Amino acid sequence: MRAVLNTGRTISQGIAVEHKGSPAYQAAVSVCHMNPVDLMDLGIEEGAQVVLTSRAGSVVLTTRAAEGINRGEVFVPLGPYANHIISAETHATGMPDFKAEPVDVVPTDEPVRTVWELMESIGGVRYDH
Amino acid sequence: MIIKDVVCPFCGCLCDDLDVEVDGQKIIKVQNGCALAEATLTGNNRLPAPIRRTATGWEEISYDDAIRETADILLAADRPLLYGWSSTHGEAQSIGVYIAELIGAVIDNTSVVCHGPSILAIQEVGHPGCTLGQVKNRADVVVYWGCNPTEAHPRHMSRYTTFATGFFVPEAQKDRTVIVVDTRRTESAEIADEFIRIERGRDYEVLSALRAIVRGKGSILPREIAGVAREQLFRVAEICMKAKFGAIFFGLGLTMSNGKYKNVRNAIELTDELNRHTKFTISPLRGHGNVYGSNEVFTWITGYPYAVDFARGIAFYNPGETTAVDILRRGECDAALIVASDPGAHFPHAAAAHLAKIPTILIDPHHTATTPLCRLQIPCTMAGIDAEGTAYRMDGVPIRYKKLIESSYPDDADLLKRIHDRIREVQGA
Amino acid sequence: MTELLVKNACVIDPHNRISMEIMDIPVRDGRIVESVSAGADIIDAKGCLTLPGGIDSHSHVCGTKVNFGRYMSPEDMRAGRTARRGKMHVTSGYYVPTTYGNSYRYSAMGYTTVLEGAMAPLEARHTHEEFTATPHQDMLANTLFDGNWAIMEAVRAKDVKKAAAIVAWTLSAVKGYSIKLTNPGGTEAWGWGEDVSSIHDAVPNFNVTPAEIITTMIAANELLHLPHSVHLHCNNLGKPGNYRTTLETFDLVPDKNNGRQTLYATHVQFHAYGGTTWRDISSKAEEIARAVNAKPQIVMDMGQIMFGRTMTMTADGPMEFNLYCLHHNKWSNHDVELETGAGIIPVLYSKKSLVNCVMWAIGLELALLTKNPFQCLLETDNPNGAPFVKYPEIIGLLMSKRYRDEECATLHDGTEQRTAICALDREMDWNEIAIMTRAGQAKALGIAAQGKGHFSNGAEADIAIYPIRCRDVDPATEYRKVIEAFRKTMYTIKRGRVVAREGDIIVEGANSTFWVNPVVPDDLNVANDPEFVKKFEEYYTVRMGNYPVQDVYLPRGKCIRTEAAL
Repeated sequence: MRAVLNTGRTISQGIAVEHKGSPAYQAAVSVCHMNPVDLMDLGIEEGAQVVLTSRAGSVVLTTRAAEGINRGEVFVPLGPYANHIISAETHATGMPDFKAEPVDVVPTDEPVRTVWELMESIGGVRYDH
Repeated sequence: MIIKDVVCPFCGCLCDDLDVEVDGQKIIKVQNGCALAEATLTGNNRLPAPIRRTATGWEEISYDDAIRETADILLAADRPLLYGWSSTHGEAQSIGVYIAELIGAVIDNTSVVCHGPSILAIQEVGHPGCTLGQVKNRADVVVYWGCNPTEAHPRHMSRYTTFATGFFVPEAQKDRTVIVVDTRRTESAEIADEFIRIERGRDYEVLSALRAIVRGKGSILPREIAGVAREQLFRVAEICMKAKFGAIFFGLGLTMSNGKYKNVRNAIELTDELNRHTKFTISPLRGHGNVYGSNEVFTWITGYPYAVDFARGIAFYNPGETTAVDILRRGECDAALIVASDPGAHFPHAAAAHLAKIPTILIDPHHTATTPLCRLQIPCTMAGIDAEGTAYRMDGVPIRYKKLIESSYPDDADLLKRIHDRIREVQGA
Repeated sequence: MTELLVKNACVIDPHNRISMEIMDIPVRDGRIVESVSAGADIIDAKGCLTLPGGIDSHSHVCGTKVNFGRYMSPEDMRAGRTARRGKMHVTSGYYVPTTYGNSYRYSAMGYTTVLEGAMAPLEARHTHEEFTATPHQDMLANTLFDGNWAIMEAVRAKDVKKAAAIVAWTLSAVKGYSIKLTNPGGTEAWGWGEDVSSIHDAVPNFNVTPAEIITTMIAANELLHLPHSVHLHCNNLGKPGNYRTTLETFDLVPDKNNGRQTLYATHVQFHAYGGTTWRDISSKAEEIARAVNAKPQIVMDMGQIMFGRTMTMTADGPMEFNLYCLHHNKWSNHDVELETGAGIIPVLYSKKSLVNCVMWAIGLELALLTKNPFQCLLETDNPNGAPFVKYPEIIGLLMSKRYRDEECATLHDGTEQRTAICALDREMDWNEIAIMTRAGQAKALGIAAQGKGHFSNGAEADIAIYPIRCRDVDPATEYRKVIEAFRKTMYTIKRGRVVAREGDIIVEGANSTFWVNPVVPDDLNVANDPEFVKKFEEYYTVRMGNYPVQDVYLPRGKCIRTEAAL
C-alpha cells in the first residue's frame, strides 16, 4: 500500500523521551497508526507488524488502529523509527519532509528492532552500563 | 519539603505554577503539572559519569579529561558544528555562541527541525503576536492550526486558552469558540467547536481561501478547497471577523508539510488582514522549553536566530546551507558538539549517521539515541531541576528556572566555560 | 590603585561652567580627583575637544522588541556586519545592531551611558540580559506603565498614593530606573485593536483618560522622589494635527521639582505636526518650542529623522499598525499582558516625500527654536528616527546654517512653505552641543548626582576626547570636519579605563546598571495588599513570586534608594 508518512509528538512519546532505552519508549515510538479500513485492506489486525519503505530506507513497526487517521496516511510518533525512513533532503529550507514522506506499507513477520539496533545500523556503538 | 511556583522546563508552555515535593536530593511528587512535567521532573535516567568510546566499547573518564579532549577535538576541526541548545538555559547557550565564534564553527539549534520555517516566514512578513496573558484575558476565538496541544502542550488550553478564565472572559468554555484545523481528527479536534479537516499538504490553499473571504472575494472560491466545503470556510471566516479578539496558534503541521515557511507566511498574512477588521494575533507553539531562548540569545549576539556560520569570521546566515541537517547530510562537518538535544532520535538518519563518522561530543544529562553515535558524552545538570538559569517561554516571556535539588553534576554552563577558556588558552599560545 | 592623567584637554563641562579651557584631568580608580602622582599613566589630548562621556537619554537597544527587530531583519544584519577582531566580537546590523554592535559603535562615538527607551516589566529579565551584553555603556531602563491595569485602577480611584506604591513595587521588582508612558491608555485600547484619539478619550473598559494617567503618574513620580521625571511618548504620535495633543499635554504639567523638569517629552518631532491630513501636513515646531520656552518644567528631545532606511519600534502598537497599513512592510506586534504593547516595522525616509522632508525639518527647528539647550536634547529615538551613528551629522546640521541650506536645496520643493527651517539662522555652539549630548541628559535623567555628565571632583571618569581643536575650526563652514570628529574619538575612557582608541574597542567591558528602589511604608506596600496579589495571580500568566528580576541579572547593579513622601 502506498501512503504518506506523518510524524509528530504524542503524550506517551513525551513521557518516555528522556528514557530512550526503555521498553516504554520503544513501545511509544515504534508504532504506525493507520486507518482501520487500510489495515483491513492489508489483511492484518491491529498489533501486526508492517515494514515501511521510503526513498531513505525501511523500518518495521507495530500497527495501531486510529479512526482519526485518513486512509492512505500513516502516523508514526517522532523518534528514531520515523527518522529511519525520513529523507534528509530539506529543499534548502533546513527542514526535512517530516510530514510529507511517501512510503510503501507492507505486512511483515520481521521483528521490530530496538532503538540501539537502529542506532547501530547507522554506525553507532551501543552503550551498556 | 514543598517548593512552590516551580518552572517546568519541558515544553514551550513553561508553566511556572508547579508545586514540587523534594525529599533530600530527590524529587518525589509533582502537583499541577501535566504528565510530561511529572516524567521530566521525577525521571531518573541520568548518565552517571563522562564516557568515552573505545575500540571495544565504552570507558568512564574524568571531567577534566573530557573537557580537555573536547577542546582538542574542536580546535583540530576545520568545520565544527555546535548543535542543540534547546533544553538548557540561556547562560549555557551564550557560551556556546562564544565558543562557535572562537573556532569559526556553525552553531544551530533545534528550531531547524521545528519552527525554523516559522522564523523564515517572520523574516519575510513579520510576526503580529502577543504574550499568552493577552489571549487568556481577551480571546473569544482561538484557532489551533496544524498542531495538537492535547498531546504536545497538554496544559496550553487550561492555562492560556480554552479552559482558562480571563479578566474579559470570565466563563471560558461558554465565552470562547475554539477552531481546530488539521489533517487528522486528533484529541484536540474533539474539543473544538469547529473542526476543519484539510487534505494533507494543502493548508496553503485553505489559508488563501480564507484570505479571499476576508477580503470580500469569497465568490471566486470553488465548492470545495483541499477537501473542505466552501460553506465551512465562510462560516469560520465569519467567526473570525466577528471576534473581539482572535488568537491563532500553529504548529508543525504548517512548518513540516509541503510549502513549509510559505504556509506560515500565508497564515501570518491572514492574521494581518484580519487585523483590518478586528484584533487578531498569531503565535507558534514552540516545542522545547527553551528553544525560543536559543533564538533570543543567538540573535542578540550574532544577529540571527539559528543556523549561524562563523567560518568567515563574521556571522553568516543562510538556511539550507548553514542549517545542521544539511551540513550533516552533505558530510560537511568534521567534528560536532551536541548540547541538550537528541539528533540521533530526531534527525533523519542519513544526517544523524554522519555524527558517528566524525568525532562527536555530547553534553547531555541522559543516555539518549545520540549516545551511541558520539565519541564522548559529558553528563551535566538539568536546567530547571539541578541548575537554575534563564528560559524564554513560547511567547518570549523570560522566566528563571529554579534549582530544586543539589547534585554532583556540573552545570553545563560551567563545563562550556571551561571548554571555552581552554580553547582560548591554546589559541593564545 | 590605577591613576591616569589626561593632559592638555580642551574641556567643555557645562555643569561646571567650563567652556573650552585647556586643562589636565586627573583620574584615580575610575573617578575624577584633584591630582595624581607622578606615576600616573598619561594621555595627551593635544588640545583636542574633551567632553564627559556621551549620554543617550532615549534609545531602543535592549529587550524583547529590539531583538524582534533583529531576527526579523536578516537583510539588515548583513548590511551592518563586522568581523571578529582583537577584543571585539562579531557584530551585525546597521539600523538594529546586535548588542555588541551597539556597544562598540556608541563607544567609538564617545558614549558611555544609555537609557533604554522602553522596557516592559514582564519582560525585564530579557532587557537586563542584553544590558550585560552591551558592556561598554552603563545602562538604565525606562519602565513602561502606559497600559498597566493596576495603575489604571488606581487612577480611576483617584488614588495617587496607590499608584505610587504600584510604581515603587514594580520598579524595584524589575530593577527599572524610571516611569515611561507610551501613548498612555492607547496601548491598552490596542489590546482590542483600538486607540485613543485625544487625551480626554476614555480607555475602553477602564474608564480613565490619558490626561488622568499622565497627571496621576507625574504626582506619583514626585511623591516617590525618583531621580528622573515621568518620561512621556505623547498620544497621537505621527498624526497630522497632533501638535494640539502635545500642547494640551504640556498644559497638564505642573512645576514640581527644583532640580529638574517635571516632564520629559520624548521624540517631540513626531508630535509637532499641523494640518489635517498627509496632504497638508506642516510644521508646528514654533508653537511647541514657544510652549517649552515658557515652561521650565518641560524638557524634550528632538526625535530627529534622517533620510534613509531604518526600523521603527515602539510600545505604541496602534501607531505601528497604522504604518503597516500605509507602507505594507513586514510588521510585527507584541502586546504585553496587563502592561503595554509593541510594534515594529521598517521604514524608509525619503527626500522625495514631502511629509518626510517636513519631519526632518521639524526636528531641527525644535532644537534651533528652543532657547535653553538643556530643554531640547539631541536624540533620534534610535532607531525610529535614524540609527544613532547619525548623531554627528545632526551636530553638523545644528552648528552650520550652510550645511542646512545645502541639505534644504535637495529636499522636496514644497518643504519651504510647510516649515521655517530655511529661515532659521541660529548656529549652535560647542557648549550648546555639549549640553545637548551629555550635560542636559545628565540633568534630565537625574544622574549628575551619580557622577555622570560632568568632571566634578568625585565624578565618574567617563571621558571622550574628539580629534578636533575647537579654536582651529569654524563649525559653521567646516561642518564636515565637525562630523568626522564626532564620529570617532581619539580616546573613549570609561571609569578611568581606555575602552576605545580611534574606533577600536580594546578591553572587555564591565558596565553597571542603574536602578531605583523607592521605599514605601509597609502598610502601603502592594506586596502586602491581598487585592493586588489576588489580581496579579489571577490575570498574569506568570506567578508573582517568579516575576521579580533576581539580583544575579545585574552583576554590577547600582541601586538608588529613594524615600517616598507617602
